[in-house]
Amino acid sequence: MFAKWFLLTLMGALMFPTIDTPTSTQTPGNSSSPIADVLICRNAHISFYSPAPIEDIKAESDQAVSALNTANGNIYFKVLIRSFTFRRSLMQEHFNEDFMESDQYPFAEFKGNIVQVPDLSKDGSYPVQVQGNLTIHGVTKAYTVPATLTVKNQQVSGHAVFNVKLADHHIQIPRLLMKDIAEQVQVTVDATYTPDPAQQTHH
Amino acid sequence: MKDFTHSLWLLACLCCCHAALAQEDLSRLFTDSSSVQLPVLATFKGTTLVNLQTSKTLHAHDLLFIVGHRFGDFAGANGGGKTFFGMDAISDVLIGFEYGLSHRLTLGIGRDKGAPNGISEYQTQLFYLTGKYRLLEQTTRNQIPISLTLFVRNVFSAVKAQPIPASNIHFTQFTDRLSETFQLLLARKFSERFSAELVPTYIYRATTTPEDPHHLLALGAGLRWKINKRMALIADYVQPFRNTQSRDYYRTLGLRFYPPLGIGWEIETGGHVFHIEFTNATSILENQFIPNTTTTWTNGQFRWGFNLTRTFTLKKGAAEEWKQ
Repeated sequence: MFAKWFLLTLMGALMFPTIDTPTSTQTPGNSSSPIADVLICRNAHISFYSPAPIEDIKAESDQAVSALNTANGNIYFKVLIRSFTFRRSLMQEHFNEDFMESDQYPFAEFKGNIVQVPDLSKDGSYPVQVQGNLTIHGVTKAYTVPATLTVKNQQVSGHAVFNVKLADHHIQIPRLLMKDIAEQVQVTVDATYTPDPAQQTHH
Repeated sequence: MKDFTHSLWLLACLCCCHAALAQEDLSRLFTDSSSVQLPVLATFKGTTLVNLQTSKTLHAHDLLFIVGHRFGDFAGANGGGKTFFGMDAISDVLIGFEYGLSHRLTLGIGRDKGAPNGISEYQTQLFYLTGKYRLLEQTTRNQIPISLTLFVRNVFSAVKAQPIPASNIHFTQFTDRLSETFQLLLARKFSERFSAELVPTYIYRATTTPEDPHHLLALGAGLRWKINKRMALIADYVQPFRNTQSRDYYRTLGLRFYPPLGIGWEIETGGHVFHIEFTNATSILENQFIPNTTTTWTNGQFRWGFNLTRTFTLKKGAAEEWKQ
């Protein structure tokens, strides 16, 4: 009998703090909805770079979208493949048509979470690990990526640099172009978050 | 003990709820971004098929260098092994440049040998100017189902004027040397592999041989079938609408007109577009091959030819066409 009560109490003690987490960091005005901790960014910047013998390949998009739940650490990114701009239009055409097949796979997407969410109520720079699934070219792969969260004047921004191997996402390089293009690209992600305005209107 | 199992279930359920909450779907915040409309890419890879233009205009600030050839008859009386299947008897050569002023407007200039047949066509030493303007671009979600491009080519023959009334080189003034082609290129990319176009054409020639009309309408059609990422089959056909009186007149001179039909193999290597092609047309410019193709596939009077283009990017920078 004692064992039963002890176990229940122990489990209860372990359980409740975790349930409380989503609400514990909420500001008073944000009531009970956990979504109130969600910050969003509609102009996240994603660029990639790949050194190549003839010409380095560089492209960027500032039309990525992202959301970050500061309570449970959930993080999301989505970018339209066609929004990447290159220095050469012809390269951009090949990127979309031949490599990314963007008609078929128009978006790249990341769904993951921050392993240990730091306390973001204070200004500072917080190194974190981000874990999750990245879908490019219709192929999903699990990634663990080091990132930095920065809080300045209560505004949260994120920065991450990581490598993507083309083969991991079944991105094939036509044989005639093989020597022009590296098999791995370095991806840089930057997002500056603001509270979701759609959520703000509820209060 | 029953109570204990019960409690465990309750605990498990609570944990599951928490897990579900932890993996909430943030993607639903951005569902609006899925319905974006974009121009369809690469309906055609080259600015020409075999004989016809395509709806493609160049990217802004790209310069295109073009070399085109049509050799002599592949077989028949004037072909075969003795001319290396037409190679020794080249019928037309073109060298030209095109420049993308914007992604909608391409201007071109070039020189073409011209392919006279000595009965209805005499003009050679051809200089040309072209303009190509993209009026409409097909979009990915079919809001605009077709691409529409206007093509204009102005040809000037620099050949020495001859006072022969039966020829089309009896020029008396500068404007007699001009020919114009106006084409509307209606194109659609039907699938990742298949694109096709219809090409209503109007041709004006200032000087023609007797009974050869100054104004001529024609309808062209072309297609591109992608074999893989680098290669495609291309084909085109043009039906000119010449009046019966004119046809009958030339028949008495022993000359028949045939609609030009071309079939080619396109290889694209990122910067180069290379065509090896077969056609019964002897000439490359519209004002000659549309009205004056007098050679037919059936008598071995088809020829091989090349069309080679190289793109140079003169100004690097994110082109305006990609900005939304």
